[in-house]
Amino acid sequence: MKEPILKTEELTHIYSPGTPFEMTAVENVSIEIRKGEILGIIGHTGSGKSTLIQHLNALVKPSSGRVLLEGRDINESKDSVRDARAKVGLVFQYPEYQLFEETVYKDIAFGPKNMKLSEDEIDGRVRRAARFVGVEEELLDRSPFDLSGGQKRRVAIAGVIAMMPEVLVLDEPMAGLDPQGREEIMKNILAYHDETGAAIVIVTHSMDEAASYADRMIVLNHGRVAMEGAPEEVFSRGEELRGMGLATPVMTDVADKLRKLGVELPASVYTVEQMVSALTALERGRRGA
Amino acid sequence: MLKDITLGQYFPGNTVVHRMDPRTKILLVIIYIAALFVAKSWISYAVMLVCLTAAIAVSRINLKVMLKGMKPLIFIIVLTALLNLFYGSGEPIAEFWIFKITRDGITRAIFMASRIVMLVMGTFMLTYTTSPIMLTYGLELLLGPLKKLKVPVHELAMVMSMALRLIPTLIEETDKIMSAQKARGAQFDTGNLIEKAKAMLPILVPLFISSFRRADELATAMEARCYHGGEGRTRLNVLKFAARDYMGLGLGLTVLAVVIVLARFGL
Repeated sequence: MKEPILKTEELTHIYSPGTPFEMTAVENVSIEIRKGEILGIIGHTGSGKSTLIQHLNALVKPSSGRVLLEGRDINESKDSVRDARAKVGLVFQYPEYQLFEETVYKDIAFGPKNMKLSEDEIDGRVRRAARFVGVEEELLDRSPFDLSGGQKRRVAIAGVIAMMPEVLVLDEPMAGLDPQGREEIMKNILAYHDETGAAIVIVTHSMDEAASYADRMIVLNHGRVAMEGAPEEVFSRGEELRGMGLATPVMTDVADKLRKLGVELPASVYTVEQMVSALTALERGRRGA
Repeated sequence: MLKDITLGQYFPGNTVVHRMDPRTKILLVIIYIAALFVAKSWISYAVMLVCLTAAIAVSRINLKVMLKGMKPLIFIIVLTALLNLFYGSGEPIAEFWIFKITRDGITRAIFMASRIVMLVMGTFMLTYTTSPIMLTYGLELLLGPLKKLKVPVHELAMVMSMALRLIPTLIEETDKIMSAQKARGAQFDTGNLIEKAKAMLPILVPLFISSFRRADELATAMEARCYHGGEGRTRLNVLKFAARDYMGLGLGLTVLAVVIVLARFGL
């Protein structure tokens, strides 16, 4: 097992304590994010996903519990907070709404500039980040507000990638994009993961998305960790997932139905690719017999 | 941080004060303010304080929340008290340099400070117990007669209710943008004044853009639902005065009368 880089210990967060609006968003959550893994955090709307991830870079302080980055409490001092902001990159939902600079280049450079890097280093990082997300050089001098929705989203993600975080956390990075845009964004994120070995945390409520990339999954329900494990473990508990208002991936449903018809499929079938290879293996086996 | 702003916030509840007609509550606040300005003596202030305390108790508004809302006003209250302290007439009790404190100054300072505190608390009672929609509806009805003078009462009420409606949305949006920029290493509380002003830019630009977008979308949505001004518009819930409203108004007017009579007798 890979070693953890980021951990939460019995994290609890209560909004507006002591008022009629008091609400416990996250309760007693202990999770760990391991070096270089792709972790999917899944939960329906209001399950505490967004609150949880804002703890990961000290944007929100826990009501109780701790967040440890490489074994050190990130809320310990101003330095530890700054360190966490640089090492844990957080891409919010609809990140294109935070663009503000005159040019794409300047906007991507905002993060590295705040890290007080040298001009050369900033330039290198901006171009590298732009390359990761497939933003062409000639777009760098354009205004970010002239770009298409998908392009804006990628520029915004580049703005976080330019800080070269060791953990990249994305909140619903594919929300509101067409299938092609979704695929491209996912490719960009995976490229960053493969080239830098950074851990990726993707927050989503889409099981199909999670199924196609996550090494490990955490399911949140009412602010608590309801399930944790490899995708096949999580998806094998379809009834419970549906009880939490989450759907299982389409292919898990298909596999379940096939199993009922007497087709012997392995438990770990939850993407189209896996289904194809499982079925061809089965077919081959039958012909061989 | 920004979420802690309570000024003008509505706390839902189901007490007599909450259920009261917004028109009654607006009128009562006006009566209350008038009475506060008429009040000149310990006795009349005590009467007002009893009314306020009773209203707070009945509405079950958390006193802590109320006091928290007063926080931004502490400076004004202290300043007013200090100014009044030094402007009293009569025999000085203490003196230094050009300042002198008199018995009259002390009473004045206490009166002025408590007048502001009670004034603000009273108006808080209105906004804490009345939803923004009810509040603007009440105002629209109360200002109704001005329509005869070609004052666009309905439009004003609509603008006000939309503005009120958008305040929490904008606060939430600001919070979100601030968090996003903080995640990119932005710092809002360090550096000199110019640096601080510059640091606001990454928040203000996205905020303005999204406000315009939101306004555009709202206008389109309203047009799509055939909004064309107040002409012939009806309400889902039409306001009607109930027994509690007459009682409330009666009580308010009685208190005002008592305070006026007390003032007449120099009390």
